[in-house]
Amino acid sequence: MASAFLPPADPLYQQVIVFLYEEARLLDNWRLEEWLALLADDIVYVMPVRVTREKNQGSEFDWNLYHFEENLASLKTRIKRWETQFAWGENPPPRTRRFLSSILVERGDRDDELKVTSSLLLIRNRGDAPEVSFLSAERQDVIRQTSDGLRLARRLILPDQSVLGLESLFIL
Amino acid sequence: MAGTVDKMRLRDGTPLKDLVRIDEGRIAARVFTDPEIYELELERIFLRNWVAVAHETEIPHPGDYVTRWIGEDPVIVLRDKDGNIHILLNSCSHRGVEVCRASRGNVSQLVCPYHGFRYKLDGELASIPSHKEAYDGRLDKTKFNLHRARVGIYGGLIFGTWDAQAPPLEEYLSDMRWYLDLLLNRTEGGVEVVGAPHRWVVDANWKTGVDNFIGDGLHTFMAHRFAVELGVLPEDPLIGWFGYHISVGKGHGLAMVGAPERIPLPPYLGLPQELWPHFERSLTPEQRRVFEKTGTIHGSVFPNLSLLNTTTISTEEGVPRVPFLTLRVWIPRGPHRMEILSWFLVEKEGPDWYKDASRKNYERTFGMTGTFEEDDTDVWISLTRANRGLYARRHQVFNYEMGLHREPRPQTEWPGPGAAYYGDYCEANQRCFFQRWLECMTEV
Repeated sequence: MASAFLPPADPLYQQVIVFLYEEARLLDNWRLEEWLALLADDIVYVMPVRVTREKNQGSEFDWNLYHFEENLASLKTRIKRWETQFAWGENPPPRTRRFLSSILVERGDRDDELKVTSSLLLIRNRGDAPEVSFLSAERQDVIRQTSDGLRLARRLILPDQSVLGLESLFIL
Repeated sequence: MAGTVDKMRLRDGTPLKDLVRIDEGRIAARVFTDPEIYELELERIFLRNWVAVAHETEIPHPGDYVTRWIGEDPVIVLRDKDGNIHILLNSCSHRGVEVCRASRGNVSQLVCPYHGFRYKLDGELASIPSHKEAYDGRLDKTKFNLHRARVGIYGGLIFGTWDAQAPPLEEYLSDMRWYLDLLLNRTEGGVEVVGAPHRWVVDANWKTGVDNFIGDGLHTFMAHRFAVELGVLPEDPLIGWFGYHISVGKGHGLAMVGAPERIPLPPYLGLPQELWPHFERSLTPEQRRVFEKTGTIHGSVFPNLSLLNTTTISTEEGVPRVPFLTLRVWIPRGPHRMEILSWFLVEKEGPDWYKDASRKNYERTFGMTGTFEEDDTDVWISLTRANRGLYARRHQVFNYEMGLHREPRPQTEWPGPGAAYYGDYCEANQRCFFQRWLECMTEV
């Protein structure tokens, strides 16, 4: 059966991978203004709450309440807060490392869009604690091809935890 | 005396009553960090008080359940076929395996996965496989029901207690009901929980959250200073001062914060006008009088329930602020850790645009990823970390003197129950909480 996913040798696949790696690197290095520039103006950025359910009792994702229910303007507000001297949760800055894998790319609903799924492991460390906290999730992105390069148009984050083990979460 | 345990003292000889000195406004740091005190709390606080576990609207249909916690004990909160709500210890009467393994769902009966003991939705043991052969027909099944907590409901909020001697919930909440009505019963239909609550774990003592929500107006200026920097809150160290700080009694307290005269405040926290006629019908004139001039309500119900109704900030430039209501429980997970379980609630009668905007404002400011929430948890983690050492546990004493010499306002000025102080830079409510805490810890 022919796969709908682009083969890794496809130049478009390689562009997407570099885009995602670059994006993760900007976030890990707190280069947030540059990160904002990678977002489409109509970005939809959501992460629903997860609950534990018995098999066959419906989706574990609650589509009524979200950890993130963001657009460009609200993401900008979060970043503006971070830029003040008083974002205590990020000062001293947590160290984050985003590991991306299992990246699959297929054609999107629009000609200029790609649907990209990936696995994310976010490792977070803060202060002098040797322990790390982490969050793992599936990301379902829509990445748009524009004359300025690729832009993130939609990000759906499906967390693997119902009770999150992070003291706070700034941006995934 | 050798061989006996003095229940009024810690193992190092410190009398419990020395930990909390209300008249001086002093509370020992170890109250927040000592593992021995934490163990006593599980018994003397969480086994004896009414603990909030769920809201009725989370389990609207027969068979609906959620799994929650009373102290460190897991409970199932469920609605039976007749619509009655039960709170059951999530532990099979035979070998203690959990009979409910999800956090929410719908069941017709509860079945233990270990040996197949089955229970009705009220916790009664219904059947045991091969019962006659296995027990030679001699087991008295009536003795092996699931443990049932007493259930109390107020404003749709479900509380449970293991204590048969505890007063009825109404009496336990007492004067706090007057204020809970402002939040939960201000419309005929009341409020409903939207979606599943946010749940996350933070390395801070459970009381840090209670202590903050019950009466900490002063921290707004510093912990949430980013909002000032963004130009959303005024550059005024008194920003959180203007309002009433009400020690309701029995460990409950809240603040109803407004604004100085020169800053006009929309009536009723900025709640949509469509809801105002409901307030006319559901609240008394005295309740409306104080509610109308309020911009923020924050408070706590003893022991571990907190509430917040506020507008915070606009999370999108140019988009008006919309108020939201959150209730949360600070679930103990050890002396230095808690789970925060935070509900978003909204009036059933609210217009859709408001429900949407209110939810987003909650998620973005006081949800798990919220900008304000993050400021708070950061300092609570810090205070828990800094006071675990032996020196701090022996010698660090926190200052709770704020407002110690302030007199409550007369009934003519404040028509609600409790001792109402003007100015939310006050620690009367925190002292009210810790006074009740000490009473519980020394009632043995």
